[in-house]
Amino acid sequence: MNCIELEESLVESEDGSSREQRAHLSACPACSGLVEELRSIIATAVELRGSAEPSPQVWNSIEMVLRQEGLIRPQPTPRPALSSFSARWGWARWLAPAAAAVLLSAGILLYRASVADKLAQQVSVAAPALDAGMDDNDFLQEIAAQSPQLRPVYEDNLRRANEYIRDAQSAVNEDPNDAEAARSLMDAYQQKAMLFNIAMDRSLP
Amino acid sequence: MGALRDLRQETMAAHDKSWGSRMVSKRTVKVIAIGVIVAGTLAAESKKEYHFAVGSKAGVSVMNPYGSIWVRPSLNNTVVVSAILHSDKVEVDNNQSGNRVDIQSHLLPGADSESGRVDYEVLVPADASVTLHSSSGPLHAEKLHGDVTLEGSTATIDVRDVSNAHVHVKTLNGAVTLNNVQNGHVEVDSLSGEVTLTGVNGPLVQVVSTSGNINYIGDFGDSGEYRLTSHSGDIEATIPEWTSADVSARSVRGEVHDDIPLQPKFHTWFPIRAGVAFAGTMGRAAASSTVVLRTFNGKIHLRKRSEKQ
Amino acid sequence: MRPEKKTLTDRRQRRGDELSEAAAIERAKQGDAEAFQVLYDMHKRRVYSLCLRMTANTAEAEDLAQEAFLQLYRKIATFRGESAFSTWLHRLSVNVVLMHLRKKGLPVVSLEETTQGGDDDSPKKDFGTEDVALAGSIDRLHLQKAVESLPPGYRSIFVLHDVEGYEHNEIAKIVGCSIGNSKSQLHKARMKLRDLLKLQRAEKAGKA
Ligand SMILES: [Zn+2]
Repeated sequence: MNCIELEESLVESEDGSSREQRAHLSACPACSGLVEELRSIIATAVELRGSAEPSPQVWNSIEMVLRQEGLIRPQPTPRPALSSFSARWGWARWLAPAAAAVLLSAGILLYRASVADKLAQQVSVAAPALDAGMDDNDFLQEIAAQSPQLRPVYEDNLRRANEYIRDAQSAVNEDPNDAEAARSLMDAYQQKAMLFNIAMDRSLP
Repeated sequence: MGALRDLRQETMAAHDKSWGSRMVSKRTVKVIAIGVIVAGTLAAESKKEYHFAVGSKAGVSVMNPYGSIWVRPSLNNTVVVSAILHSDKVEVDNNQSGNRVDIQSHLLPGADSESGRVDYEVLVPADASVTLHSSSGPLHAEKLHGDVTLEGSTATIDVRDVSNAHVHVKTLNGAVTLNNVQNGHVEVDSLSGEVTLTGVNGPLVQVVSTSGNINYIGDFGDSGEYRLTSHSGDIEATIPEWTSADVSARSVRGEVHDDIPLQPKFHTWFPIRAGVAFAGTMGRAAASSTVVLRTFNGKIHLRKRSEKQ
Repeated sequence: MRPEKKTLTDRRQRRGDELSEAAAIERAKQGDAEAFQVLYDMHKRRVYSLCLRMTANTAEAEDLAQEAFLQLYRKIATFRGESAFSTWLHRLSVNVVLMHLRKKGLPVVSLEETTQGGDDDSPKKDFGTEDVALAGSIDRLHLQKAVESLPPGYRSIFVLHDVEGYEHNEIAKIVGCSIGNSKSQLHKARMKLRDLLKLQRAEKAGKA
């Protein structure tokens, strides 16, 4: 076996372990260098697996389509947050499930809004789902810890968003067939979710 | 196990980040070569400029915790970013990946709203889609026909002369002004900032606010869906008499005034009580827009625009 | 030749996820929004990285990753657990990417015929980088950069085999080429990578 034949033989036997290959390699530093380098490329290649992170927009678009296509549907009972819910930065780790809980409630409403006769049920579903995921006081404390000067702004907006939810909810209670009331309740939840999202946004100091 | 995986992911993410800044692509090398660094008048203030060549429908995003972002159209297929950095406590990270340009102000330890401030002026091809984030703002985008997404917390947001595009705005309490948006898909979410839309129309124009006032001056055109809703803010729409729309307005606890004669519609979803609600059509009912105005505690006023204006 | 330790880590990690993944799949079948996101979070890096390495373009990779997850979610109700969920997802992602490459008219397998012997563009002669040693010191980021500059035809086979761990017979089936072709293209891809890495290193040494 000469050098050219060795290189060709690597197509079938990449690690140079056949008897003929070994015979050549033991006598040829150039070819054993080549085999060593290919081996090191192969070993490093595995590290490229799963090595890049997609931008958050990817999930946002997926979720939007899932909702549009009705693949995401309302849940009969509120569930505890699944463990591997991940957030990327600092205290936002804690906030992500909270904001998601709010959005989940909004999603429930969005779906239910199209089914007027089930509107009555939705209120009783949404409220505990919301309570399970978040605590306003924790939220405000985190804001105060991160950027004390922003606390009053968030506190004020949070109070107003909660009033919005309360009012919209009683409007739904008054007339479960009122599609606009259901819509308002969804808007109200989304406003609150937005408050959480802005707080965890990466452009926030 | 979950925590371990998180840790591993974070390490990998950190790797990726260092990759982004250390291993620069050929293109980035070019950008840095063109990049001009001019010493500012103040000792700590500096100006940086970056140029990127992009194709049609490029994506440009600017993340800037503190400071303004102005976006205007560029003459050709280039993105030009001029940044004024207010101190050396903040850096500008830039990255181009294919047709996408990402700019981010990177705060260094000890940076605050003054020393961390960066003011950007960004020129983009008019068909680029633009995403701007700033906590303090202001944010401004004009004369574009690509999608525009602006998010701020206290930032005032101003968008003008945009057509055939999605305009998405989210703010905590900054004032939002949209001026001359044609054939838009407009969604504005504001917790407590005031929202003013002038000459805005399109298939969807939606404003949701918790306590901000909403002001619409225009004609509800394009047979679109217009929803202006607030919990405790006032809603005022000023429209010409010839407007053609299906209008329903309701304030749960506030008042509703209309200066424009409506043909009443009785098959409506809420009880019509004078003073708190009205519903009806105006103009030619065919090819008209749907308009929903709704507030819980605010006032609603549908005004006739004097033709002299 | 494939390093054992990596597969072990993967396997151990997989076992830890198994329970929550199975639960998440069941919940996703019920339309649970959070379950969809949990599944996405578990696999997003793997799927996105595959798309990114195959296309060397972040915008395309994001679109493709989105498409792969959507196709998966649309079919999730039919998932009965005969094969591993991740296997299913990755195969589906590969198909989405290959379809995309074909639509763009890019070769999935290099069009260059499997030429016998040394006529080819083996750049060791051109670059004079033969004396730059590589062994034992390739870092992930340099390799990543080199993979990005591989011609598309070589990139797919290399990513499928050496990065994602598919066997030649699987690749032949997925890509639609012969096993021999897959092997020879892989070898050529590795040889090109080696040249690119040497070139990188020579450039760096020149700059320093
Ligand atoms: Zn030899």
